[in-house]
Amino acid sequence: MPSFVALPEVATVKRREFRSTLPALLFLALFFVVPVIALLLRSVLEPQPGLQNYVELLGSSTYLKVFFNTFMVSAVVTIVSLTIGFPVAWTLAIMPSRWAAIVFAILLLSMWTNLLARTYAWMVLLQRTGLINKMLMGMGLIDKPLALVNNLTGVTIGMTYIMLPFIILPLYGTIRKIDPAILQAAALCGANRWQALTRVLLPLTVPGMAAGALMVFVMSLGYFVTPALLGGTSNMMLAELIAQFVQSLVNWGMGGAAALVLLVVTLALYAVQLRIVGNESEGGR
Amino acid sequence: MTTPFLKIEGIRKEYGPVVAVQDVNLEVERGEFLTFLGPSGSGKSTTLYILAGFDNPTRGDIKLNGKTLLATPSQKRNIGMVFQRYTLFPHLSVGDNIAFPLKVRRLPKHQIDAKVKEMLRLVRLEGFEDRKPAQMSGGQQQRVALARALAYDPPVLLMDEPLSALDKKLREEIQHEIRRIHQQTEVTILYVTHDQEEALRLSDRIAVFSKGVIDQIGTGPELYANPATRFVAQFIGDSDFLPCQMLHSANGRATVSVGGAVFSDVPLHETGKSEGAALMLRPERLSLTREPLQQRLAATVSDITFLGNNVHVATSTLSGDPLSVRLPFGHPAISGLSRGDSVWLGFEAASAHVFN
Ligand SMILES: Nc1ncnc2c1ncn2[C@@H]1O[C@H](COP(=O)(O)OP(=O)(O)OP(=O)(O)O)[C@@H](O)[C@H]1O
Ligand SMILES: [Mg+2]
Repeated sequence: MPSFVALPEVATVKRREFRSTLPALLFLALFFVVPVIALLLRSVLEPQPGLQNYVELLGSSTYLKVFFNTFMVSAVVTIVSLTIGFPVAWTLAIMPSRWAAIVFAILLLSMWTNLLARTYAWMVLLQRTGLINKMLMGMGLIDKPLALVNNLTGVTIGMTYIMLPFIILPLYGTIRKIDPAILQAAALCGANRWQALTRVLLPLTVPGMAAGALMVFVMSLGYFVTPALLGGTSNMMLAELIAQFVQSLVNWGMGGAAALVLLVVTLALYAVQLRIVGNESEGGR
Repeated sequence: MTTPFLKIEGIRKEYGPVVAVQDVNLEVERGEFLTFLGPSGSGKSTTLYILAGFDNPTRGDIKLNGKTLLATPSQKRNIGMVFQRYTLFPHLSVGDNIAFPLKVRRLPKHQIDAKVKEMLRLVRLEGFEDRKPAQMSGGQQQRVALARALAYDPPVLLMDEPLSALDKKLREEIQHEIRRIHQQTEVTILYVTHDQEEALRLSDRIAVFSKGVIDQIGTGPELYANPATRFVAQFIGDSDFLPCQMLHSANGRATVSVGGAVFSDVPLHETGKSEGAALMLRPERLSLTREPLQQRLAATVSDITFLGNNVHVATSTLSGDPLSVRLPFGHPAISGLSRGDSVWLGFEAASAHVFN
């Protein structure tokens, strides 16, 4: 439980800190809060005052499907990223630092490469006559090409690739911070590799995993480019829907409502994360 | 002939060009408290880590009850260890930390609970089982670590400078605890420290490490009274070395000349090193007079320090070598003594040593 009874000196310090953060707060208010409020207003004022935009959004099965797609894809992307990211981060953490630096360089280079270029590259790889289908067919695993693109499969693959670094980097940091002597102690206590992994290492990396997973999940919820390029027309994701409302239909009311639902969900998830990780670090370290 | 309980045979460990341990040989009795004492980088931890199985030696063997340990991985050696750094599992409570080695051994729950209780009582931390390590002081954490390491009744307990992060008072308190626990459990302990006082207070025997080898093994009094090398003489107790001239030597006794005075029947240690002969004197074994006497070393007082019970008189011999004397407070010879005074220092031949 956080304590709200601050000592006088602490309170003074806090007040002074607050004063020094004032410009930043003003900046945030101007560039973040004001547009959100404008959007909120439009969502309840257009085309006429009322909540009808929200009723329509949450009442129609078409739109609910979009929400479902969005959460589904984001969840799968998060889980797959964690599953691939953990062993990668672990390997990076224990490999000689010279090698790790090379892998990081590659990782960062890919992150700095234009997002569109990377997504188009996946399009080429995943299409019916693409490298992946050709390889699978060449190995005789399949006899006709799989539909890997223009659907949610494509979106999931492409987004997992984009999101992986956001899992690997914080997880790498968490694992590096674990004192190797703790694992040596676990070994001397009689823990085999599996027990050391599940009883010591994994619990200690939970904060890093939670941080990475939340970031990936939230980023995935609002992601536009990859779903737009690798997804199909039938199964949309939320960002695409918002773009459609605003650009094609010029319906700012519905667009604003969808955006705000997304924002509320994101903030709620953030609050949950703060609770879990906050408690963890209070008791843990 | 009985096989020794624990035997370290010619251990050598190289890290690339670095020789961390040159050649360590050691036999340890069951229930013994043996301390590795030595300066930083002398190979104490490396030797301990090889025993723990974190590293394999480049050469040599370790045997427990006559059987080699090298083929057994750490997690099957059943050895206990307390580390220099705090290594409690931060996400587990004190009770769960102590239970950890028992849980991975899949012991029945009632047995685990009983053992955790017993261990908490042993380290005098009853009532702390639900705390997280972060809520404990450094000393308490190391006691929990000790409890965790002893919970599975290891034949050997390794301790690598477990108290070096604690302040002096707390350190002494936990040294007492460790002694009591050693007597109570009769576990064999190999303890690493570079603090001679700690080594003397805790150990049955001390192995003095220097540059990857053990210079000498013995009880504290043995090492103090009969240091085999200059290094051991410097490391156990205080000592000064005066260059001297060998006049005669026979049967481990030497006659030497220092600053015009001749001393005979001084215990002699042939070190085989060509550093020249040196006479070792301990400050607490010297006597001091203000008048010239036969068979004494003339010196000039360079400093006088009051150290509670003792007064430390730093002097300089005629040849300029420093030589310290320690006398009880209020000793008549030092009343009114001041810097620059001439004094004469004497000693019994048996309390000195010549290293050649
Ligand atoms: N993994 C390693 N790689 C390279 N050199 C090492 C390694 N471990 C130890 N050394 C070297 O071996 C020597 C002995 O190290 P060790 O840790 O055994 O010393 P120590 O006696 O425990 O010293 P301290 O009192 O500082 O702990 C040192 O010179 C150290 O630098
Ligand atoms: Mg060490």
